[in-house]
Formats: sequence, structure tokens, C-alpha cells
Amino acid sequence: MTQISTEADVGSRVSTEEHARARGRFIVMAALHALASLRLTVALLAMSMVLILAGTLAQMHDGVWTVVHEYFRSTHTWIRLRLFVPDSWGVSDRVAILFPGGLTIGVLLFVNLVAAHAVRFKLSAKRVGIIVTHLGVILLLAGEFVTGAFADEGNMSIDEGKSSNFVEDIRTAELAVIDKTDPTSDIVIAIPMAQLHEGATIRHPMLGFEIHVDSWMANSTLAAVTGGMDGDPRLSMGPTADMGIGRNVRARGVARATGVDGSTVDVPSAYVTLMDGDRRLGTMMVSVHLEPEQSFGVGGKSYAMALRFKRTYKPYTLKLIDFKHDLYVGTNRPKNFSSLVRLIDPEHHVDREVLIRMNEPLRYRGDTLYQASFKSDNTGTVLQVVRNPGWLLPYVSCGLVVGGMLFHFGYRSWSKRRGGAVRRGDGMEGTR
Amino acid sequence: MNMGRLMRWIPLVLVVVMAVSVASRMRGPAVDADGVDWNAVGSLAVSAEGRTKPLDTFARSALLRMSGRQSLPARGEQPSMTAVQWVMELMAAGDAETQKRAISREVFRIDHPDLRALFGLPESDVHGRRTRYALSELMARLPEMANQVEMAKAVQPKQQDMFQRQVLGLNDRVMLYLAIAQWEAPLAVAPLASGQEWRPLVMTAGPMVGGDASTKAWHSMLESLSAGDGATLTRVAREYGETLRGALPGAARASSNEVVFNRAAPFVNAAAVYVFAAVLALLGLLVTTVSGKSDSAWGGVLRRSGLWMVGLAFLVQTIGLVARVVLQGRPPVTNLYSSAVFIGWACVPLAFMVERMVRVGIGTIVASVIGFSTLIVAHNLGASGDTMEAMQAVLDSNFWLATHVVVVTIGYSATFLAGFLAMAYILLGVFTPALRGDLKKTLPKGIYGVVCFATVMSFFGTVLGGIWADQSWGRFWGWDPKENGAALIVLINLIILHARWGGMIKERGIAVLAVFGNIVTAWSWFGTNMLGVGLHSYGFISSAVFWIVAFDLSMVAVMLVAAVPVRHWRSFREGAVEARVGGAVATAG
Repeated sequence: MTQISTEADVGSRVSTEEHARARGRFIVMAALHALASLRLTVALLAMSMVLILAGTLAQMHDGVWTVVHEYFRSTHTWIRLRLFVPDSWGVSDRVAILFPGGLTIGVLLFVNLVAAHAVRFKLSAKRVGIIVTHLGVILLLAGEFVTGAFADEGNMSIDEGKSSNFVEDIRTAELAVIDKTDPTSDIVIAIPMAQLHEGATIRHPMLGFEIHVDSWMANSTLAAVTGGMDGDPRLSMGPTADMGIGRNVRARGVARATGVDGSTVDVPSAYVTLMDGDRRLGTMMVSVHLEPEQSFGVGGKSYAMALRFKRTYKPYTLKLIDFKHDLYVGTNRPKNFSSLVRLIDPEHHVDREVLIRMNEPLRYRGDTLYQASFKSDNTGTVLQVVRNPGWLLPYVSCGLVVGGMLFHFGYRSWSKRRGGAVRRGDGMEGTR
Repeated sequence: MNMGRLMRWIPLVLVVVMAVSVASRMRGPAVDADGVDWNAVGSLAVSAEGRTKPLDTFARSALLRMSGRQSLPARGEQPSMTAVQWVMELMAAGDAETQKRAISREVFRIDHPDLRALFGLPESDVHGRRTRYALSELMARLPEMANQVEMAKAVQPKQQDMFQRQVLGLNDRVMLYLAIAQWEAPLAVAPLASGQEWRPLVMTAGPMVGGDASTKAWHSMLESLSAGDGATLTRVAREYGETLRGALPGAARASSNEVVFNRAAPFVNAAAVYVFAAVLALLGLLVTTVSGKSDSAWGGVLRRSGLWMVGLAFLVQTIGLVARVVLQGRPPVTNLYSSAVFIGWACVPLAFMVERMVRVGIGTIVASVIGFSTLIVAHNLGASGDTMEAMQAVLDSNFWLATHVVVVTIGYSATFLAGFLAMAYILLGVFTPALRGDLKKTLPKGIYGVVCFATVMSFFGTVLGGIWADQSWGRFWGWDPKENGAALIVLINLIILHARWGGMIKERGIAVLAVFGNIVTAWSWFGTNMLGVGLHSYGFISSAVFWIVAFDLSMVAVMLVAAVPVRHWRSFREGAVEARVGGAVATAG
């Protein structure tokens, strides 16, 4: 405003320009006011309640990661009516409404918050608490965004006495084809899960053959083929293999694990046919259930193939010295799990013993390693390895928000007791 | 004048009478007709479900799981029995005579008609309707039940139907019963020498009898009970108690304290006192409203009596909570049961503050209603067995239990309190002339203040939970049902605050949204636990679903009542003009 008055006396041409500029500024301010509206805040908060409820109910049917991806880290989502009514009503999955996803709501809340402070910014005692609180909220939203975009987690399972230097992403599988012709070094070709859909053909310049995906099971179970087909009737139907372990063991698809099941994980399997040009080499069953690779030869070269969880290699190695699993006396209720490991990192001259326990993780080189689970018979441990550059943000945010709210509400009741100095002083008087 | 001075003493007298009556019920029983000191028997330490506890607790929780009660009431010619008497009788049963008597006790609660049909059980007999049956009545059809159990187990837990769940539940209870009868539970033989663990009595039975002092004591006690020799039973129990105190002083002391706690039943007593408090405060409000004077003498006396009575209930509940904390060595909230007790408890001081603002007894009424109903909820939750069970490994952290769990539970409390105050506002406002004068403003101010507090606590508690999750599995926020439920509570509170700051809602709007907050809180407290209908929740969950739906529907009904335009509200009808003017400038806060 002051700018306009100082420049206004230069001439009429300028003043028209100024007029246009002021109008532009007015439009910007009007837009800013609209974005800063508390009505928008309330609408967005209400929408996040609907989204969170739907995302919770959806976990009865889908895995938590599917839900996070579809609802909370998406720009939009289809909320199905079926989630809100009993299954017995038989509402179709296609009855759904389009709804903004978590990403959209989060960004809008962020814009709303920033706009509100841009429009109403005023540094005074009664506003400090609100500003600090909202700064904390921004950090919280930012933290979830950073986690969604950059965090990485996987499992490292180690048998007692053995070592490991990689983590497995239990949400993604890969088909590893290993060229073992050269005895001194293996060549590993990892085909990501995204390419492994039914009917896909995979070609790779390093491979002397093509891979056809005959069938893909996102979650599966294995059963041995005994002499007759007297066992599970489902075994006698569906694909079969004529190469490798699949001749004796069959994989069959089962329902995907859902979010409310707890710790269950989807274990994929697939049937693939290997083709050398037009010549069919054979059909193999590959499964994450199977631990060893399956070997075969093509054109004088020897290969091994395995479907496994996607691996990421770490710059350090852990050797499991001892895994302990204590139960409460006379029960199957776990009292404590702990893994005594040797942490080896030649690059940093680290070689020491560490005890990783429930609620006591190891933080090393930006990774945090948690006691997550264990192998049956207590012969090995499963550590969860998380890399989240934003892990500290929620801690800071929590302090800011709680401190800010306590100051705000505390200051208000204190000043009111002093004689109503703050009459309508919520700090956030409405836009109207 | 004299009358007025006398009336001032009424609240105090009422509270003292009540306190004495509560205290008198905590007195222990003397030696019974057969000369048995059951107190000495019940105080003996045993181990079960992963912790050392008195036999009394083991017996009560076993009986509670089977029959839904902590003792056996008299029925027909069967005398009443305490849980300890029942467990000892079952363990002592040896010859055909005693065995026949032991298995004729009606301890299995069976409600489901299909289950009754499976066993061919009668719905009533000469003594009236029956819901509890004896093992002797089930025995003939146990093989058939085993078949049904086999079939039910082949079905995924989530796909099991009601009958299958009931069969599995009954099977668990029968298994527990047989484990007791066969000396597999509890782990009765104490580790008197170092390096030993608690062992079941069955491991010491047979030709090897003899063994250590603990084994000998148990055999001797059971034999003397079987022989009807009460004096010996008492003597051995007392001597063995001494032995335990010498060898395991910590466990033995905790055991006898826990027996006192069990007998005192502080939460049951507190629930009863809350009822009196609610009645007194309601009468006070009624008298004040009917008399039309805000300084009605009798109204004041009744209101103060109600307030004092809530204070007494709160005191009893506090003693109970502190006793639990000491006995368990854990912060107050460790499971769903204790969360219910704590939610009601934490509401009371907050409600007192609101009462200081409104001064008509509404705070007292709401405090006692919440206090009573949460204790009833707790009582039903406790029916699944021991309420001080050992903690799962991941929860085994007193620091996080004391911070995250306590804070988030206080957040639940405050949100419930705001919701119940809002219900009082709506119901009293629409149907009665009780909300006169200042009350139209002060009560919403109280609700608003509680919502502010609830926002801080629920946010802090939720984020602390995230930090705990980050510490224990590296994920601050996993979007799992329980976390989402907590987030919903924060959001509903934030909506109330922002909508009011934006002038979108006024007193009535705050009240409606606060009542909606009850639905949200009930959802995240219980609803989220029902999504994955777990293995351990058959009986409870089905009836809990009913109650949750009933609760939610009643909240919706209250919200609909609030849809009546304010000028038609009974309380505001006379001063319609004033109310409108007041409404226009209202920014209660």
C-alpha cells in the first residue's frame, strides 16, 4: 500500500499501471484469502477423517501397503461403498466414489496453513503459540512426505553363525537369473516384479533364452505332489512344471494377506516357460517359498534361477552370534527377543558386538536395525532394516506442536484470569 | 437457621456412612464351619499365564472365564462356593464320591442355543432358567464336541461362523477345567531351591511322591480337604505360606496383598458409589430446576452430597488403581480392561473443573455416569481372565506405557467427557428448563475447554505412540487401524476447534460435534480391535459389536435431537429474543 502512494504522483500512465497492478494484487489477495479460509481447513480435516476411516476399513480386504499406496500416498482414490456395510449385503466393488487421496489432502492442508499465516501473520504473544503449533504440523506433514518418498525398509534374516549383508524387500519380489558359467564370478540378472505379469515375455541381451510368464500368483502356497492326486483337489488342476523342483512340488495361489491379519506377508510364486527361439526348453515353477536356486543348462552355459524378495546390498555385514527368545514361564507368550550380532564394516574400521533387542534398535550409517521376528525353531533372527532420512522430523514436530498448544491455551486462560485482556483472543479469529 | 446449619452436615454424613459401608465389605472372611482358613489357602503363590499370583486370583480368573462369575452362587441344594474352594475341590477330587461332587458344579456358561442343542442341555429346571452347566452334563457329548472343534479349526479364524467360535471357546474352557483337574494348571509347585522353575503338580505325582516341601504341602492339603480334615488343611496351608515367605519373600508378599485387593474389589465398590452420586446430583438438579431458584437450599444440599459422593468413588477407584500399579509393577494402563478403568478415572477431575464453572451438578452427573459406565465396561472386559496378565514382548516397556499409553488414554477420557457434557447440554436444553441464565454460556465454555485439553492430549499421545513405533520397529506412522483410530480422535477435536474459530459453529454446533466425538472415540477404542476378529475374542466381540452399535445409534439420536431449532429448546424458550441475540455474538471461550 505504501508503495502505491509514493509512486502515484509520477504520471497518469503510471497510475493506470499502478491500477492494474493493484487489481492484480487484489486478485492475488482474494485468492490467498480463499485458500486461507478456515472453512477450507475444516473441510479438509473432515475429508481426511473419511479417507482415514475408509483406509482403515480397506485393510480388512487388502494388505496395509496396498492401502497406504492407494489411499494415503495417492492423489485420488476410489472409496468403495462395500467397505462400510456388512459383506453379506453383497454390494459390488464397482459402487464407489472418487475421493481425493492423502497426497492431495496433505498438500492442500499445507497450502491452506501457509496461506492462513501469510494472510494473518502477526507476531504477538497470543499468536506465538498458534504459529509454533502450525510449524510443528507442517513438519509432521513434511515428515510423512519424506517417509513416503525416500524411506526404504527391508528385512535381513540371518541364521545363527551365518552372516548377511543384504536386506530383502518383503513387498517386492524379483526373478533372479544367475549365469554361473564362469566359476570365478556369477552374473546376476534381476527381473523386477513389475515385469512378471501373466503372459509377459522377458528378453535380455545377457540371456541366451526367453522367459514366458505362464502364471503369476501374488500370494501362494506350496504342496508336494504325492504319488496319486488324492490330496488337495486344487492340486490336480492348474499349471504344472516339467523342469526343476516343480515336478514334485506345486504352487497354488491363495488370497492376499490383509492389513488386519498382523504380520502375514504375500509370498509369490510363478510358472515360467523357457524358450530358445521357437524351441521350448521346459516349464519351471519358481517361488519365494523355495530357498535354493534351481540350476539348468542352456546352450552350453549353466544357469540358476530363483524367485526371491528384492535384495538391496548394504555396505556392512552382520554376523549372528546368538538369538535369544524368552517366554514367560509355562506359556507361549514371548517375553523378550534379542539378537547378539557382530557388526563388520571394513570401510569404517568397525568390528564390534551389538545386542539388538525389542525397543532397543541399532542405528548405523543412516540405517536403523530392529528386532522384528525370528525363524522357526529359534535358529535365526529377522531384523527390520529401515532407512528414513526424515525419522527425526516427528520428534521435533511433536515438541513444537505440544509446546505451542500448551502455550496458546495456557496464555489464553492466564490472560483471561488477569481480567479478560484477550476477549475474543483465540488467536485465530475467523475470516468473517 | 438451625435447620440450615444441620443441612450443611448432610453431605458429610452421607459420605461417611457410605465409606464405612464400603470399608466393611473389604473385611476378610473368618475361618469357615469346617475349620478351614480359606484366606491362608487363597494367599498361596502359584504361577499361571506367565506370572506369579495368589491361588485366589488364579481361581477367580479361571472361574470367570468359565462361568462369567468370580464365585459360585447357591443353587438348589448346592451351597455357594468361593473360587478358591471350587478350585481346591476340583484338584482334591480323588475317589468316585468326591469326583462326582466336583464335576457336578455348574461352572460352564453356555448361552448359544446351537451349543446347548449339541449337548442336549435343558434351558431350565425346577430352580428356573439355566445358563450354566456342569461337566457331568457335558461329558456324554464331549467326543462329538471334539469332532466339531476339529472341523472349526480347519476354518480360517475370520471365516468361522458364530457356532464354530462358540465351540472353540467352550473347548478352551473345558481344556482349562481339565488342566486344573489333572494338576496341569496352575504351576503350583514353587521353585524353593535356586535354579528351579515353577512346575505343575502333575509332574510330581505318582510313585515319586515325596519331593520337596512345596510338593508335600500341596499333596497334604489336597488329601486333608478330600478327607474333610479342615484343621490339617489350615495348618499345612499356614506352614506352607511361611515356607514361601522364607524362600520367595517378594512373590509371597505380593500374593497376600493381591488377595486383599481381590477381596476389596475396589472397582466394583467404586461403581456402586458412582450410582449413588449420580442419583444425588440428579435429584439436586431436579429440585433446583423445579423450585426455579438457583440457590434452592435442598437442591444445594443434594448437589453437594453428589459431589462429595463422586469424590468418595474417585478415592476408592484411585486406591484400586494405585494398588494395581504397585501389584503389577506397571503403569496404570496395560490392556483394554485397565484402559476402561483409567478412562473413567481420568474424567473425574476434569469433570470437577467443569462443575466449578457450571455449579449445578451437571459436572457431577457426567463424572458419575462416565465413571460408572466405564467400570461396567471394564468389568465385562475383565471376564476373559486375569486382568494383570504378563505383557507381550513389544509392550514390555514401562517408559512407553507410562507416557504414550497414559497420555493417549487421557485424550480418550477428555474426548468422552466433552461428548457426555455435550449430551447433557442437548438433552437438558431441549427437554428441560434446567439450562437457565448463565448456564447457556458456561456449559458450552466448559465443553470447549475440555475439547482444547483433549486436542493437546490426544495429539501428544498419538505422536508419542508414533515415536514408540519408530523406536521399536522403525516406522513412525504405519497407517495401521489403531494408529488411524487415534488420528481420527485428534481430527474430530481439531475440527471442533477450527470450526468454532472460523465462526462456523456456535454452542449447539460444538455440542453436536462433541457428541459425534463419542462415536469416533468408541470406534478407535474398540472398533479397531474388532476388524481382525482375533482368536481370543469370540464371546466378547459379538456382544461388544452389539453394544458399540447401540452406543453409536444413541449418539446419533442425541445429535438429531439437537437439530431442534434453538428457539424451541425448552430451556431457552422463554428468553427466545435474548437467546437469539446471545447466539449472534456468541463465541463462548
